[in-house]
Amino acid sequence: MDVAALITWVLTALGGFFLLATWVRHGGHRQPSSSRFPPALIFGHFALAAVGLVVWIIYVANGSDALAWIAFILLVPVALLGFTMFARWLPAYRQRGTLTGAAQTATASAPAERNFPVAVVAGHGVLAVVTVVLVLLTALGVGGR
Amino acid sequence: MGENAMRTEAVITTRFGESKQPVSAVLAGPYGHPFHPILVTVPIGAWVCSLVFDIGSQFVDHPGFLNKGSEWLIAIGVLGALVAATVGFLDFLTIPAGTSAYRTALVHLTLNLFITAAYVLNFLWRHGTYQRPEAVGGGQLALSIVSLATLGLSGYLGGKLAYRYGIRVADEGVQEEGFRARTPDSAAPHQPKST
Repeated sequence: MDVAALITWVLTALGGFFLLATWVRHGGHRQPSSSRFPPALIFGHFALAAVGLVVWIIYVANGSDALAWIAFILLVPVALLGFTMFARWLPAYRQRGTLTGAAQTATASAPAERNFPVAVVAGHGVLAVVTVVLVLLTALGVGGR
Repeated sequence: MGENAMRTEAVITTRFGESKQPVSAVLAGPYGHPFHPILVTVPIGAWVCSLVFDIGSQFVDHPGFLNKGSEWLIAIGVLGALVAATVGFLDFLTIPAGTSAYRTALVHLTLNLFITAAYVLNFLWRHGTYQRPEAVGGGQLALSIVSLATLGLSGYLGGKLAYRYGIRVADEGVQEEGFRARTPDSAAPHQPKST
């Protein structure tokens, strides 16, 4: 169970890296920016998730129950920040649906998150939920380590 | 033609400047003070010491403590590398794609991922013999040597990114501030005393 969570966590992180790279490449971090993601929101999500992953790796190596719970507690704000970004991304996604191809790329003031591929956002979200569930079950001792 | 050349020059200059600015000052370090170079000292130091312990374990009478210490150092290095990689990734995002600096950074990043994976394998390989009071095995020692040699190559590329391409390094105008003399007198060249 702990290794399964590690695998889903790493896959989730890869998706997150891709989304962050897309956001930066389209100038989301520059000020002023039309992005609806404040830097503290996206980088807070990124940093807490990275720290949590390191804690989880240590847990997998040494099996301390306290570390499993610390990792889960770290995941709570990570998930909340992630849901907040998802809610803020939806308007940009809907707006994209109303524009044609040329108009989409020509809109200079388009928020950076409009360039997120839907499949990556969906995969990142689903894997994140699976990771949180697996981490919680592992911390509770359900199904063994 | 001349106009095109000027336009290209302007694009290069603008994109060049982007790689000097942090994506996030809190996580990657403020302008002119990147965190990645200091964070990499943890895995480099830990893994170098790990190899010293490996070699030392071949020569001392009771090598168990060096065997255990080396495994701890590998683990510390892996965790340090993950933290350094996280911050390094943020600096990587500042480099415009399609440039020499980007290709160098991509090789640096890829090599480091392989090196970290090799040390994770090395850790798992040693874990079964953690309690045995014996010297580090030849296979594990060889893997450490190869990993550290590759780290040297990757470190060279990291140095190239910082010192040749100036990624996350303050621009020359800012650097000049460090060479301004405080007073006109102290800036004057040294004059030998006349007798």
